[in-house]
Amino acid sequence: MSDVAVAENGKGEQGQGTLGRVKKKRVGVRIDMTPMVDVAFLLLIFFMVTTVFRRPLAMEVNMPEPDARVEVPESNVMTVFVDKDESLYAKIGKGDIEPLTWADLEPNFVANAEANPNLIILVKINREARYEPMVDMMDLLEDAGMERFSLIPMKEADVEALEAVR
Amino acid sequence: MTPMVDVAFLLLIFFMSTTQFKPPEQVAVNLPLSRSEIHVPETGTIILTVNSTGQMFISSETGRDIQELAPDNVLDAIVNWRGRNPGAVVVVKGDRDAPFGAMADLMDTLAEAKTLRFNLMTDLKKRTPRELAAGLPAAENTPTP
Repeated sequence: MSDVAVAENGKGEQGQGTLGRVKKKRVGVRIDMTPMVDVAFLLLIFFMVTTVFRRPLAMEVNMPEPDARVEVPESNVMTVFVDKDESLYAKIGKGDIEPLTWADLEPNFVANAEANPNLIILVKINREARYEPMVDMMDLLEDAGMERFSLIPMKEADVEALEAVR
Repeated sequence: MTPMVDVAFLLLIFFMSTTQFKPPEQVAVNLPLSRSEIHVPETGTIILTVNSTGQMFISSETGRDIQELAPDNVLDAIVNWRGRNPGAVVVVKGDRDAPFGAMADLMDTLAEAKTLRFNLMTDLKKRTPRELAAGLPAAENTPTP
C-alpha cells in the first residue's frame, strides 16, 4: 500500500558538459498520505462519537414542609399498599383492603379520581421493599395526572392488616 | 487534499482536548427507570448515592470527592455540603434494589435538613414503537412477585 514515489526531474542526463563529475540526481519525494488521513479520520470519528455525552435524567420531588398538616376526611383517601414482595393492595376510605396488580393500578387511579374529584392518594410502602416500586409508583401517579400524593413507610399496624388479608 | 487533512486534524485535536472521560464510578448503581425526561444540571449538584445494600455516599457531580456516610452522619453531611454550596441541587442517586426503608430515612433526613426540593436520578424507560403509536405509557417492568 504505502509507497514512496520517486519522480525524475527531467534534466538529469548524466555527464553533460561537466567532465568526470557525476551529477547527483535531484529527486522529489512524495509520500502517500492516505493511510495517515484514514487514521486521522478514524480517531476524529471516535472522539466525535464519544463526546456526545448523556446527561442523567431525574424526577423532581417537592416535599411539603415537615410540620405541614392537612386534615382530610377519610372517605377521600385511597390508600395503596406496597408489600415487601412488591405486591399491591388498595383500600378506599374505610373500605376493605383488596389486592391489586400493577397493570390495573393506573386505570384504577383514573376511575377513582373520576368518581371522587377530591381523592387523595396515600402510598404506603413496606420498609423492606425495594426502592424501585417507589419510583414506579411516582412515575405512574405522575402519568395518571396525580402529582400530589403522600408517600410514607408502612407502620406496624399496616403490616399486620396486610398479613390478615394475604 | 492538504486543506482537508488540516481540517481533519484540527477537529481531531479539538475533540481530543475537549473530551473528558467520565471518571470511573466508585459506587455501582443500577438506576430505576422512569418516564421523566428532566435532565440533572451539569454542575452545582450534590449527589447522594445509595447502593443496593443501602450504604450512603455523598459527592459532587464529578464523583472525585466521594465519601461514605455513616447512618447517623447523614444529616450533618447534608447540612455541611449545603452550607458550602447553597445553590446546589440535591440529587438522590438510588439503586433500584436499595431498601425502601433506607430511602425513606434519607428523604426524612433531607426534609430535616430543609431540603424539600430534590431530584431522583433515573434512567429513561423507553416506550416501544407500538406503545408510542397508540399513545400508551410504557409497559410496567416491575418484577412479578
